[in-house]
Amino acid sequence: MHIPDGLIATSQPASITLAIGMWIVSIAFLAWSWKKAKNTYSRSITALLAITSAFVFAAQMINFPIAFGTSGHLVGGTFLAVLLGPYAAMLSMTIVLLMQAFFFADGGILAFGMNVFNMAVIGGLSFFLIKLFTKDQTSSYKRFIPSVFAASWLSVMLGALLAALEVSPAFAGGVMVTVPSMLFYHAMIGLGEGAITALLISSIQRMQPAIMGGLTLLKGRTKL
Amino acid sequence: MNKNLVAVAAIIVFLAFFIPLASSSPDGLERVVETFEVTKQTPLWNGMMSDYTIAVLGDSYVSTLLAGVVGTFIVLMAGTLLGRALSPKKTKIIN
Repeated sequence: MHIPDGLIATSQPASITLAIGMWIVSIAFLAWSWKKAKNTYSRSITALLAITSAFVFAAQMINFPIAFGTSGHLVGGTFLAVLLGPYAAMLSMTIVLLMQAFFFADGGILAFGMNVFNMAVIGGLSFFLIKLFTKDQTSSYKRFIPSVFAASWLSVMLGALLAALEVSPAFAGGVMVTVPSMLFYHAMIGLGEGAITALLISSIQRMQPAIMGGLTLLKGRTKL
Repeated sequence: MNKNLVAVAAIIVFLAFFIPLASSSPDGLERVVETFEVTKQTPLWNGMMSDYTIAVLGDSYVSTLLAGVVGTFIVLMAGTLLGRALSPKKTKIIN
């Protein structure tokens, strides 16, 4: 769901204002997450952050088919949020998006603020959805993976909804066509996101419990 | 062997395996754009490896794989810088 600059109608004030507005909103979120992330960790997260970001970059290159001749790929926002926490996840996803826009022209420069918000900010914030879903401490272990699945799906749907609103000035039919059609395809893409994220997180939980042990998400909530 | 190196190698193996299997159909947003026949503006910037290919190698498996590997290392480097900036100063890097 990387919005290209081609969909920002520079001749339309609404479109350009929206693009600039989303740059400002995203910068504000990134500044906030930087401040929060700097005081979060008691040990180095360098290796984990570098490797998970690189994996998300690689995974985003691989499109899986859904239906009606359409494909989707892992966004990875919830994946990063589970492993790094919400704040570092936003920053990590932002560097992935920045490298994609700069080196690969995947996602526009004008549209960069939109893409950061739809994927990095929403992805990072999906951490709080998981927290909400696992609130009941006694059942949180059982609920953890289903919560990861649900949060991943919701993060894709929310990102798609925002993208639909943001690109709507370029469409003759406006939001009436972009919102239903984006949600239609992303409801299916989100299932892929949920399944892949749940599979990855449960595998890491089994094979590398040390990584999961240090998670702020599960601290004091579950015994792994 | 260093765990981090194993992880990086695994990412490259992942790319090598999945690139030929990846779907070339348009993604959700591209599909919506095609369906409603939106005229796209000229992009401001075309990148250096647009469409995840290396221009001189054309649109081939090797070209995409190489672009993917280059991208993976670029993100690894940027991620290392970000990770260092966020991590506490006086602890050893835990592998």
